[in-house]
Amino acid sequence: MSTESPNRHWRSLQEAADPASLKGVAAQEFAPGVTDDFDLATLSPISRKRFLAMLAASSAFAAAGCTNYRDKGEIVPYTRQPEGHIPGVANAYASTCTGCHQACGTLIKTREGRPIKIDGNPDHPVNRGAICPRGQASILNLYDPYRLRNPQRGAGTGRTGDLSWEQADRTITEHLAQCVAAGRKIAVVTPPVYSPTLKKVLNTFSAAFSTTSVYAYDTLHEESRRRAWRRVHGDHLLPVVEWERARVVLALESDFLGTDGMSVEAIRRFAAGRDPLRSEELNRLYVVEGDLSTTGANADYRLRLRPDAQLHFLLGLLHELTYVRRAIPVTPEARRLTTEYPLQKVAEDYGVRKETVDHLVTDLLDNRGRAILVAGSVLEEDVHVMVHYLNSALGNTRLYSRDRMPPAAVAPSSELDVASLVRDMKSGKVGAVIHLDANPVFDLPAELAYGEALEQVPVSVSLAETEDETGALCSYVLPIHNQLESWGDHQRRTHTLSLQQPVIAPLYNTRQKEGILLAWAGTAPYSESLYHEFLMERWRAEVHAPLGVASDFKTFWLASLHDGLASTPGLSEGPIPEARRDALGRVSMPAPVEAYALMLTTSPFLGDGRFANNGWLQELPHPISKIVWDNYAAVSSATAARHELSTGDMIEVLLPHGRATLPVAIQPGIADSVVTVFLGYGRWNAGPVGSHVGTSVQGLLSRSALSGSRVYRGVSVTKTGGTYRLVSTQEHHALDDPFVKDFHRSRNIIQEGTLEEYRQNPRFLHEKPLELFSISKEVSYDGVKWAMAIDMNKCVGCNACVSACNVENNVPVVGKEQVAMGREMQWIRIDRYFSGTPEDPVPSHQPMLCQHCDTAPCENVCPVVATTHSPDGLNQMVYNRCVGTKYCSNNCPYKVRRFNFYNFRDHLADGYYEQEPVSLVHNPEVTVRSRGVMEKCTFCVQRISEARQVAAQEGRAVRGSDVTTACQQACPAQAIVFGDMNDPASEVSRYRAHNLGYHVLAETNARPNVTYLARLRNIHTEKAL
Amino acid sequence: MKHPFPLYALTGLFGTPDGITRAAEGVAAAGYTRFDVNTPYPVHGMEHAMRLHSSRLGVFALVFGLVGAVGTIAFITWVTLVDYPMVIGGKPFWSWPAFVPVTFEVTVLLASVLSVVTMIVLYFRFPNTSHPLHDTPYMKKVSLDHFGIAILASDPLFDERATRSLLEQLGAKEIAAVRYDLDDRAIDRRLFEPRFLGILALTAILVSGATYVSFNHLLYWEPFNWMSEQPKLKPQKPSPLFPDGFGMRQPVQGTVARGSLPYAFAGRPEEAGKYLVNTLLPTSSVLAVGKKKYLTFCSPCHGNFGEGNSRLRGQFPNPPTLHSDKARTWPDGSIYHVISEGQNVMPAYASQIPVNDRWAIVHYVRVLQRAHYAKESDLK
Amino acid sequence: MSTVVADYRREAEVVEGTPSPASIDAVIAAPLDVFPSRRWWVAFAVTSSMLGLGAFCVGMTLFYGLGVWGINQPVAWGFDIVNFVFWVGIGHAGTLISAILFLLRQRWRTGIARFAEAMTIFAVICAGLFPILHLGRPWLPLYLMPYPNQHALWVNFTSPLVWDVFAVSTYFTVSAVFWYIGLMPDLASLRDRTAQPIKKLLYSVFSLGWRHSHRHWVHYERAYLILAGFATPLVLSVHTIVSFDFAVSVIPGWHTTIFPPYFVAGAVFSGFAMVQNVLIGVRQAFHLRHIITLDHLEKMNKIMILTGSMVGYAYAMEFFIAWYSGNQFEQFVFLNRALGPYAWAYWTMVSCNVIFPQLFWFRRIRRSIGIMFAIGILVNVGMWFERFVIVITSLHRDFLPSSWGMYIPTFYDYGILLGSFGLFFTLILLFVRVLPVVSMSEVKAVLPGAQPTHHSHS
Repeated sequence: MSTESPNRHWRSLQEAADPASLKGVAAQEFAPGVTDDFDLATLSPISRKRFLAMLAASSAFAAAGCTNYRDKGEIVPYTRQPEGHIPGVANAYASTCTGCHQACGTLIKTREGRPIKIDGNPDHPVNRGAICPRGQASILNLYDPYRLRNPQRGAGTGRTGDLSWEQADRTITEHLAQCVAAGRKIAVVTPPVYSPTLKKVLNTFSAAFSTTSVYAYDTLHEESRRRAWRRVHGDHLLPVVEWERARVVLALESDFLGTDGMSVEAIRRFAAGRDPLRSEELNRLYVVEGDLSTTGANADYRLRLRPDAQLHFLLGLLHELTYVRRAIPVTPEARRLTTEYPLQKVAEDYGVRKETVDHLVTDLLDNRGRAILVAGSVLEEDVHVMVHYLNSALGNTRLYSRDRMPPAAVAPSSELDVASLVRDMKSGKVGAVIHLDANPVFDLPAELAYGEALEQVPVSVSLAETEDETGALCSYVLPIHNQLESWGDHQRRTHTLSLQQPVIAPLYNTRQKEGILLAWAGTAPYSESLYHEFLMERWRAEVHAPLGVASDFKTFWLASLHDGLASTPGLSEGPIPEARRDALGRVSMPAPVEAYALMLTTSPFLGDGRFANNGWLQELPHPISKIVWDNYAAVSSATAARHELSTGDMIEVLLPHGRATLPVAIQPGIADSVVTVFLGYGRWNAGPVGSHVGTSVQGLLSRSALSGSRVYRGVSVTKTGGTYRLVSTQEHHALDDPFVKDFHRSRNIIQEGTLEEYRQNPRFLHEKPLELFSISKEVSYDGVKWAMAIDMNKCVGCNACVSACNVENNVPVVGKEQVAMGREMQWIRIDRYFSGTPEDPVPSHQPMLCQHCDTAPCENVCPVVATTHSPDGLNQMVYNRCVGTKYCSNNCPYKVRRFNFYNFRDHLADGYYEQEPVSLVHNPEVTVRSRGVMEKCTFCVQRISEARQVAAQEGRAVRGSDVTTACQQACPAQAIVFGDMNDPASEVSRYRAHNLGYHVLAETNARPNVTYLARLRNIHTEKAL
Repeated sequence: MKHPFPLYALTGLFGTPDGITRAAEGVAAAGYTRFDVNTPYPVHGMEHAMRLHSSRLGVFALVFGLVGAVGTIAFITWVTLVDYPMVIGGKPFWSWPAFVPVTFEVTVLLASVLSVVTMIVLYFRFPNTSHPLHDTPYMKKVSLDHFGIAILASDPLFDERATRSLLEQLGAKEIAAVRYDLDDRAIDRRLFEPRFLGILALTAILVSGATYVSFNHLLYWEPFNWMSEQPKLKPQKPSPLFPDGFGMRQPVQGTVARGSLPYAFAGRPEEAGKYLVNTLLPTSSVLAVGKKKYLTFCSPCHGNFGEGNSRLRGQFPNPPTLHSDKARTWPDGSIYHVISEGQNVMPAYASQIPVNDRWAIVHYVRVLQRAHYAKESDLK
Repeated sequence: MSTVVADYRREAEVVEGTPSPASIDAVIAAPLDVFPSRRWWVAFAVTSSMLGLGAFCVGMTLFYGLGVWGINQPVAWGFDIVNFVFWVGIGHAGTLISAILFLLRQRWRTGIARFAEAMTIFAVICAGLFPILHLGRPWLPLYLMPYPNQHALWVNFTSPLVWDVFAVSTYFTVSAVFWYIGLMPDLASLRDRTAQPIKKLLYSVFSLGWRHSHRHWVHYERAYLILAGFATPLVLSVHTIVSFDFAVSVIPGWHTTIFPPYFVAGAVFSGFAMVQNVLIGVRQAFHLRHIITLDHLEKMNKIMILTGSMVGYAYAMEFFIAWYSGNQFEQFVFLNRALGPYAWAYWTMVSCNVIFPQLFWFRRIRRSIGIMFAIGILVNVGMWFERFVIVITSLHRDFLPSSWGMYIPTFYDYGILLGSFGLFFTLILLFVRVLPVVSMSEVKAVLPGAQPTHHSHS
């Protein structure tokens, strides 16, 4: 056995030898020169040195590697700083919103000369600082990447691309001149014009081109109401109701709190009549409707009645008041009309609760002069005649304001005019059509076949911001300014003339539409100031002069621009004329109801579809159904049962004049045998976001709808078999499923009472106070501590707060599939609950946002302290620390936290919202959150710090009243209060202390800081519905 | 017999656990201390046979454990009370029950891992892969199924002949001498040898390159997002979206922002003097503001006391003194007008100085003039 | 210390027959020396392709974000956390066998300890992936560690997720050390067996130069005892802390004090099921029937029936407490589990975890390879669904009915689940090729006649 054999393959592993053994070796005597090898030096462990050297080098160079950090970009200051513009400080411009025809006064917030938010103008007498969800979101249209940047030539496929404005002007004016010479018609198609100056521009144009005729149309018009008013009262100025003074309101298929008329004003005034903090006298709202509208959802009494039976019901009412209660003098017309319709009979025929009707009649009589009837603009003229007549018969005209609504400067043309235009276009009588920001190819009823007619017209021009359905067929598409780049004025009230001023120079090679017409009319070559001058000229001559004010025009003009309006009481026309006694003369006997009635309602957010490409609006949940990104045929469960339909099934709706196939949504509270669909969806050329969203119901729209009602008889419904995915932000729970029924009440999420109950016992909510205790002592906050209160008596669930929050806080749009997966990002949402039965549901809604709990469950569980409490009591979110464990969201009892599952801006429609210039819409004071980060309501912390800066400059501490959150600012009902809960005098403290105040899920002891004021239903019984 | 390599130990093998136990007892009885027993698995009773102390590893475990426990508590306390106290879920800063789990885990971690490290490094002197016993037939056998005993040459009683006979008595088979393996001298000792330096340089380049790329580029590609660059436009940032590249825009001609009506007397100094009146009262706070703004904006040319002695040391034409009769008899409005619109070489200060501050400056100028031409009454 | 060893002589043999120490080495080391069989390659191909699929899904998740999963509001945790809890649970059996049975002087553990420990480590590796994957910004996992950073922020020591980080990493480290210490003597034996230079090199490096010296054995056995002593409370603490992830929250169905014991029992339960399944395979494949005996398997089945019954008790108790508490949120959550949209998952869990294991009361079934294998699989299915039920059904319908939702897993969820199994079994297959699946030195020590007959100095 060769123990001596040295073993080679250990070399590579030489390590220090065992010292013990070395000592031992040294101890032995051996041949000299042998032992010398036994000191540590000889076993020099070079490999280790090398290793260390390698390590050192690597780390040194690694350090050397991380030099040159990312260039943060250069600084570009103002070369000529405009007066009053300080970088980082916002400016505000008063202007007017043109999102719909209501012309709300707006206050546009700009940063460094770029608009970033649109709010209501507090000085505007009509909308008083609030605007609707659409107005809020409309700022996105300014920065919509789909906007046209240059004039285009050639229709549809024949498009030859950009051309210069000069070419466009030259060729078009030449052609117009030829038309005049050849005596061919020039048609200008436009929405109703409420701008006196635009009217003047059109006159100038018509004067220049003698064969011009102007056509206006509006599928959502209120012409029936206006004509009826003329029939009853003789003049043409529609009244404005002062809802706050009404004790009893009867709404007949009228969504005056939602989509019918000037809802922003109506909500404010109506809510003012329902303020338990001001008075214990609350108004009482009766709603008689077939659809379940926002107004119906807020009713104290709601009666289901199909829209085509409204006239019957009104006749019954008239009969009751005239013959039973003898409250109205008998007229021959009344006798002729009502004999067949005693209220009893009508109520039985249409299954209307009799006792409620009796309450209604009694209330109307007891509150003469303090009650008001209002009918929806979808209904036919006769219904409105009845309503106007009854109002004046009951002396309710006292509730009308002296400020009234004049007709449009260019009123909607009658269906006959529009039809004849189409005829002339087909027959070649029309030489040119100019679409003035109008989209008739999509809007007009399919039966008119406007599109085909348009192809017969040699020269067709579309003046529009984007290429829409009409533009696609036009031989010229000329891009016009967005409303934020435009000048203008609008007259919606006899007392008020609103001004519109641009807040940013045109982003692209676009022009002001009025200026284009003026230039063509040959007044002067186009320049940005052309229409500006024209506007000032008209004001000098027609506004300033008649007013006869002391100040010179320049001062007057600048002041009006500053305020955003001029008040013109001179234009109003005396007292409201009494109703003609024979007003009912031409009311025809109601037609019998048929198997089905179809009602084409107004989309709550898209309006006529003009805003289809606005993702923020597409993603606002419908106030009742909570469905997003779609329209649908809403039917009652009974109707659905008859056809074995369930939500998502496709049906075909067939009318004499057309048809449409759409998905069904079963909706509680809709009258049986009624199908309601809203317009404005199904655009096919709206842009990457808006095209092919929902279904177009052009086919169902009849030409009569252009000036008449949008309720149809003779409808047949068939199930086609297909299915379609409707997406809603709230899981639907069967109303009658005992497993989940009325949880919102048993869990005290929604706490309601009746006015009676409240009068009897103001503290009825707090009969059984919760005993909450904590093992640790509470953290004390000295100084300001922020809190919010929401008055559920005022909130009508209009979604203005949601839309405002989206804009203020850079909330991304996620798209339909993502909402379907439950990933919507809105920081504040309106929860909707039903109790009662599917036939007669009792809806309740509740704005739900981060409650900023004192003992926030989300904070304990965050491993990286990305969410903690600030010294002023905010539950704050540290985005750049968040790693996205989502534990906080799981542990939030209110589920108000939102997670960026994707980079949603990149994810929607091939990164549509990552295209420029969308980045300009983002609030520079708010982080644009990345993928994988949790976010939630911050109580608008950026506004709080802004207020703190101002306070610091003024050398004082910040006050609770200094801050207004975006949702609070937007709320038309002024239902949201925000402020300092440590200040006992503050309004929010008053709300917190109020008898009706309660906290949602108080028993979790999270100590939320959002107080809800329980809603009081003003009904006759004491027990809640 | 001489041998080139020094002796490490004499080894003997045994076939049964009983045999090795007896052998160990024998060797120990003979007074040997530097000997070892190698068996494929722990043979029970051997530590007594070899007269070894029982292990003190437990003491180390205890110490490490305590260090872990106390250290963790101390650290957490420092973090939550001293370094960065935060209100989390309305709980007290030092909510000790929540600290128990972490403390426990760290205790266990330190105690167990460090004791093992101690054993390996301190007691075993591992790693050591070049022990003389390694790779000997002796080791091969004991690691399989034999039981061996090795008496080290370094033992004071060691004498090759006597020890060998002792092992024979004890019944050892295959008694063998194990020697050091001394063939280490051939190893290359130079550090600066070109091939190695080459490798060194290569590593350096690779590492620095890699770190550069990852820190400055890789970390900014999809999907990474640090929110350091966000799709929004901050003040004074350029923007390619506008033809002139300026992110900050000029207001549109003829528009009026809230609270900034254009100056009514533009280009009309006389009327300004006639109609404009100071909107502020000369309170001490207003004068303080006025002084601040004057010293900021006016004094560079007009001098700290308005004598027109520029602080610019004549690098710029000196402006007239503010104590001239003209200036003193001027109405406030005219001074305001000049500040707003400038005159001669003096530029307009409208965009730098807000309206109220201009009026405050006017007050302060009045104070300077008054101080310069003080009345008797002022001196009292 | 001596008592530990003294133990070896009490019970009956743990290995069948009287193999010689040499034959033990020969048998155990056999798979390491021969080229893998076709069966092994097939198995490896299957598992590694599962792993590949998982890797693909992980890649997509990392690039596009958690959106590719089925999670949403309100169910912000899905398969990720379910798998995490499941795999951590699997690990527990290993530590239990190697540590607790060691302290309890269970000689029979020697045959299966090594393998069980290996499974622990692999399972914890699988588990450890998920906490990182489930992050919205998975490139920032270090934020969960308290180290000085640019935010000047430490971590939130009141968050169960931080406890998790410490618990799981400690658990992994200690298990690994424990396992490695056990391997050292065997590596040395292998070093001395093999003739191939490469293998020899590796074995010598990893055996650190172990010499079977009794001066080392003394400390070695003490260290082993200390580690076992620490691992025992550790293993209990780990799943306790995992259960805190839920118990500490306010969500009805999570906020439950019974969770810690219930989770630990469940973990041991599923762990033993997994060990039993895999060992059945191994003893067949590598002819270790005489070392991993039927008695071993039967003993494991007995433990399963014990823990299974504990889990069943916990299920019953949850319902009782929900009813007894009179808290409507609690009550609804449990009704919703049994009757709601996820009832199918709930009843799968109950039948697999409570009903089938009861068959083990019969000795014949306890000793029948086929049936016990089937039941073992069912138990693992059931335990996976237990975590699914706890995570999903509690979240999908909590306080506010307005924010209720459903959770539908996507392709990527399933892919990653499959991938984690792929990873686990791939590691096992590699393990059986390169390391002794049974501790040679321990088995040799318990062979008949392995210890001195007479007993001196004690």
